[in-house]
This record gives sequence, C-alpha cells and structure tokens, in this order.
Amino acid sequence: MKTLLWIQGLSCNGNTQSLLNAENPFFYEIFQKIKLIYHPSFSYRENLQTIIKKVKEEKIKINFLVVEGAVTSDKRFHKIGDYSVAQILEILKDRADYIIAAGNCASFGNIPATFPHNTDVKGVQYKFVQKEGFFPPDFKTRSGYPVINIPGCPMHPAWFTQTITALLEGKKVILDQFNRPKELFMYLPHDGCTRNEYFEWKVESEEFGHKEGCLFYNLGCRGPMTHAPCNKILWNRISSKTRAGMPCIGCTEFNFPLRENFFETKKNMGIPEEVPLGVSKRAYITITGVAKTLKNKRLMVKLEETD
Amino acid sequence: MPKVRKVVLNRVEGEIQLKLVWEKGKVKDAFIIAPNFRGFEFILEGKPALDALVINPRICGICGHAHLIATTKAIENLYENAGLKIDIPQNARLIRDITLGAEIIQNHLRWFYMFVMPDFLKLEKSKKLKDFEPIKGYKWQKAVDFSSRIVKVIAIFGGQWPHTSYSVPGGVVCDPTTFDLTEAKSIVDSVVGFAQQEIFGMDIEDYLSVSSEEEYLKKSKNSDLKKFIFMCKKHQLDHAGKSYHRFLTVCDMEYAFSKGITKKKRRNFYVEKVREIDSYSYLTENGFSFDKNRYSWAKAVRYDGLPYETSPLSRRINSREKLFINLLKHYRDSYMVRMWARIDEIARLLYAMKMWIESIKPSEPFYIPPPADIKEISGKGVGLCEAARGSLIHQLTAEKGIIKKYNIITPSTWNLGPRCEKYLSPAEKAIKGADSQIKAEMILRSFDVCSVCTTH
Repeated sequence: MKTLLWIQGLSCNGNTQSLLNAENPFFYEIFQKIKLIYHPSFSYRENLQTIIKKVKEEKIKINFLVVEGAVTSDKRFHKIGDYSVAQILEILKDRADYIIAAGNCASFGNIPATFPHNTDVKGVQYKFVQKEGFFPPDFKTRSGYPVINIPGCPMHPAWFTQTITALLEGKKVILDQFNRPKELFMYLPHDGCTRNEYFEWKVESEEFGHKEGCLFYNLGCRGPMTHAPCNKILWNRISSKTRAGMPCIGCTEFNFPLRENFFETKKNMGIPEEVPLGVSKRAYITITGVAKTLKNKRLMVKLEETD
Repeated sequence: MPKVRKVVLNRVEGEIQLKLVWEKGKVKDAFIIAPNFRGFEFILEGKPALDALVINPRICGICGHAHLIATTKAIENLYENAGLKIDIPQNARLIRDITLGAEIIQNHLRWFYMFVMPDFLKLEKSKKLKDFEPIKGYKWQKAVDFSSRIVKVIAIFGGQWPHTSYSVPGGVVCDPTTFDLTEAKSIVDSVVGFAQQEIFGMDIEDYLSVSSEEEYLKKSKNSDLKKFIFMCKKHQLDHAGKSYHRFLTVCDMEYAFSKGITKKKRRNFYVEKVREIDSYSYLTENGFSFDKNRYSWAKAVRYDGLPYETSPLSRRINSREKLFINLLKHYRDSYMVRMWARIDEIARLLYAMKMWIESIKPSEPFYIPPPADIKEISGKGVGLCEAARGSLIHQLTAEKGIIKKYNIITPSTWNLGPRCEKYLSPAEKAIKGADSQIKAEMILRSFDVCSVCTTH
C-alpha cells in the first residue's frame, strides 16, 4: 500500500479542515487506499520525530509527502519539537515520490509570507509569483514531478482527493505554469457562476445582499481573472462564494493576498484596471458598450418579479 | 530533584508543547508553550479596514467564521463610536448566529470524536472503543460525515466553509430563498437525528430539560456521552483537571447562552477590565524578546487582574443552567464537566439553529449599506463574539479607514496563555496534580487547544 505523510508549517489548519469535508471519496475512504503514516490532527500513537528517524533509516517509505502551511527555517517563529519545518523538508525531500503543497500557504506563501518581521517565509517551491520558494526552481521529486501545487485558501477537498487518486492510479497529471493541476485550474470561478447573465448584459451589483447583479465591476470580484473551478466543483458540494453573493477574492492565485481593497474594483476612467482573462481592454469596452445599449429587461427587476 | 519533560502535542489545532515538572509521580508545574507565530496583528497594520474581513478568518481553519464575525462587529462598532448609527437587519443577525452555531457544532463534533476519544484508546485497550478508532472506526467516520454536513449550512449562506467573508458591516452578502432555508433546516434536522441517536441517547428537547447527572443517566439510552461519563469515572477524570472556578462569557446568543462573569456570583462583563500581560511572552509591548524566562508566543489575559476560564462550560455557568450548576456543586470545574459542557452545547445550538432559521423572513433585507464610506471613519472599535472555544475579542484603531492597530484576544489565549507574575493560566493550573503524562495531555485537551488561535 502506498503511504502518505502530512506535515504542517505556518498554517491555520484550514486545508485539513477542508479535506475532512471531502465527498466522493470521503476523507476516510481515501485513507483506505493510502496508508496515512502521520497527520498531526489524527495520529494518536505515532510521533513525528520517531517517524522522521525511521524514514532516515529507511524503515518507512514515503510515497506522498503533503505540506500544509508556509515554510520557514527560523525556529523562533515555528518549530515542531526540535525541528523547523524547513529542516524536516530538507530531510524528506529526496525520499518522497510526490510532494504536494496543500493550500495557498504551502504553494505560494500566502498570508504568513507577508509578515514583515520574518522575511524567510515562503511556499515550498514558490514565493508568490517567483520560483523562490524553499526548494530550488529546478527541483523535482523521484517521480519527475516538481512540487504539485494545489492552492486555494483553503484548497477544495476534491481538488486534493482527485489529484491523489489520479496519481495513485498512475495517470498523468498535467500542470500549468504555477504547477497547479491543469484540468482543475483551467476553469475560472466565472464559469458556472449563477450571475453570468448579469455579467453578459453589464448589469452590475451596487451593494451586497441581493441575488441579482454581477459582482465584477463594483464589488471587486476576481471571478473572471482567477484560475479555480469553484463554480464547477461546488464548495461543500452545495454552493460557492459568488453564488452566495460574495465576490471572488482570487485565493487560488499566486498573488493572493497581495492586493488591497478586496471589495472594490480598481478603475481608471470607469474602466476596470484588470479585465477578464483573454480579453483586451478595447474589446471589453466595446462589448460592454454594446451590451448596455441592448438592455435585457429580465435583468432590470428582482428575480422574484421575472416571468 | 524534580524531573522535567517536554512533549509535543498532536491532535490539537496547530502545535503545542507541554513542559511538565514532575515530583513524586505528580505534575508539580506545567508550562504550555505555543511555539508558532504568523503575526496577523502586524500584517493588518496599514491595510484598509474591510480587508480584515478577508484576512482574519484565515487566523484559524476551524473557527475562522468566529473571527469573521468578531471583525465585522469591530468595524460596525468603529462606525458607532464615530457617531454613525449602523443598521443591521434582523435577518442578518439571525444568519450570523446560524452560521456561527454551525461552525461551533462542527468544532465540537470533530473535537470530541477526533481529538478527545482517541485519548481513551491510549488509556485502555478495550474492544468497546473500536468504533472510535481514527479513520477506521464507525463512529469516527460518522463524526466526519455529520461535522461536514452541518457546515453545509454555512455554505448555503456564505458560499463555503472554511474561510468565507460573507458577513460585512451592515449585514450579510446573501439573499436566500425560502428553499435555501428549508434545505438549511433539513441539514439541521439530520444532525439532530445523529445527536439524538448517537451522542445523547434521547430526544434533544428532553435532554435540554435534564437537570442532574442521575436524571441523565437514568433517562438516556446507550449513548456516547454516557460512555464518556463512565470512562471519566473509571479513570478518575471526574474530579481531575480543576482550574480557577471562574468563568467569563462576552456576548449573548438567544436560546443558547448569555454573557457574564462568574466568580462565586454572576456579574456583568465589561471589556475595559480586560488586560494582557506579556511578562512571559515572546511578544512584548516593545517588540519581540526571547529572554530565557519567556516561553510562549501567547500573552496572559486577565479580567480585573484575575485569570478566567472561557469555554462552553463558562457559557453554561453564566447562563445559570441548572444541570451544570448541579454538576459544579459535586465535581467543580473538572475534566469531565468541562468536556460535558462542550458536548451539551451541540444540543443547545442545534435547538437554537432551528428557531433562528424559522425566524428569517426572506422578503425583508439582509444588508443595509453603512451610512458612510469606511474611508471617512477614524477611531476605535471592539468586536465581541463567542467562538467554539470561548470568548473572542477583536479591537482595532483606524484612521480614515486604514488600520493603525489591531489586537486579537482569542479564547485559547485566555485559557492556554502563559502565566503572569501572580497566576498560572487556567489550563496550566488545571494540569497541576495530574498523575500521568497522558492525563496531563487530556486535561489540556479539555480546553480544546487551538495553537493557531493562541498566538495568531
């Protein structure tokens, strides 16, 4: 049976909590297929220091090494027993077939990497957009894959379980330029958003608390610019932020949370500073101009009042 | 010579180390070390106040929603202190309580079945406990199923759990339909079914009227709570783990609990009486210090100069609930009673959630825009919220909508912080006298340890 070892750096534990919500497969079903060597939240007999010793002596083999949380080598800010998370990674890095960065902290550094008093906080292979994470840019594990990033703050459980399942079954996982599984991160939250009709016809939300209106133009929604299947694989299998009425904050991206004013759209002379992926600003202006002239009456009233 | 031993604790949120000083087979002194620090309060400085709604839930993956509510309330209070009345629709208040209730229930289920019960597997090798074995056990799996099911309620209103920022100054971002509400209600009903059958062994409303241990043991059928009580007695945990017997709760929740301070008698809570002391903390008023006597990133929190426990047990006591007042008479604030209060709260909150969902009126507003742009607001704000583990306080100072200072006091800081010159923290005090390492760990876990919150 293949094995999995889970370690935590600077983390809020949110990816573990998210993973517990997994369905198809459920959390405990995955670990019927993979032996969980250690996880800080669930192991009750094992201790990590002994496990590391056994790995060094080659008494334990690791197939999947999962890292949750950002990495630092400064023991004043993070340690597990006598080790820093960086030291643990150093010991384990050539002994695992696959290394998976679970969540945005492990992938890109995320909030902990913005802490001004410790500049040595990073993701496993990236620090935000740069390949300046803890491992060198050309680092690859025994399987030939670099660190596989499954970002998201937190990651969706299905993104993790489907990646693991595919690798377990020997399937090839194609990665994008940020080492994210392509077939998950080629979608945008915009795809499948229940507010898409409002986006098409340029009917914009002015304020929160309504089912109607697109959240892009006024409320800072990153749905059209973020790589994430949040509206294809629904959260908790029931909803998504944009469906509930909350703007996408772009938490799967390498630059999260560097932006400021999450609930505002930055504009120059009425034109959003960033327009949907794949569209030029000129095309955006043209198409929105046309959409505004050709009003869709259905979208001018509350949903309950439509026929 | 007393023996000193350090242990790294797992099955807590994040990482905690415990330094125990032993004498004659008993713990003579205990130091709770929170070794990790991310610096959220520093990260927030200079950021637009509303961005705290996105950043703060990420303090904690398990109670991030409580941090969201505390942040929202702190910003709303900032408006009020600037002389601007902020209207929060009743629907929004209800939804915030519903989602907070769901998050707390999720926490208690995961905590009890995943973090607490495996301790008993270490304490005794009994076939009866097979169902509680991590990952393989039937009851462990059920706890995963139902703790994941209750957070679907948060997803209905907030889009996802963990980590949403759907509660904003002025209300909530959603505008649910009648059918969203019926679905939320159905989820609550199914968790009620689980709680009745497995946890309490009786109808929830009957359980809520129980006023003594004898009555509960008599009326309930085979249940996990009953098993737990018997195991506590078997291992003398019914009288172990006593702390200061002082309880603090910072806000009300209709049908669920009320705020107050209980030190012999119950009084009102005043936030002005809360102080943080950094004499044993790496984080000091003048920056970081790693002097030898300092041992934790957490600070000590005191109310009127005294350490207080904040927890579901505190909520039970400050709400003057008969069952727990009776339990305290006999057992004081012991391991068993502290744990029972957390389990008890599952029933109380499920009941309350049903009432709250019933009270929502879909045709009425869920959000009313604040009376001014946050960029015009300067001053101070305080947000008080009851989280799974106890009382949570957010305090911010802003200048024209930009955060100048942000301070967070979490339940775990109250309970598991370090000592001050005069007093140990409540958890350190509770561990003193434990007669084995596993029991010391269990007593610590009875405070529902969250190290990521402790230090943030």
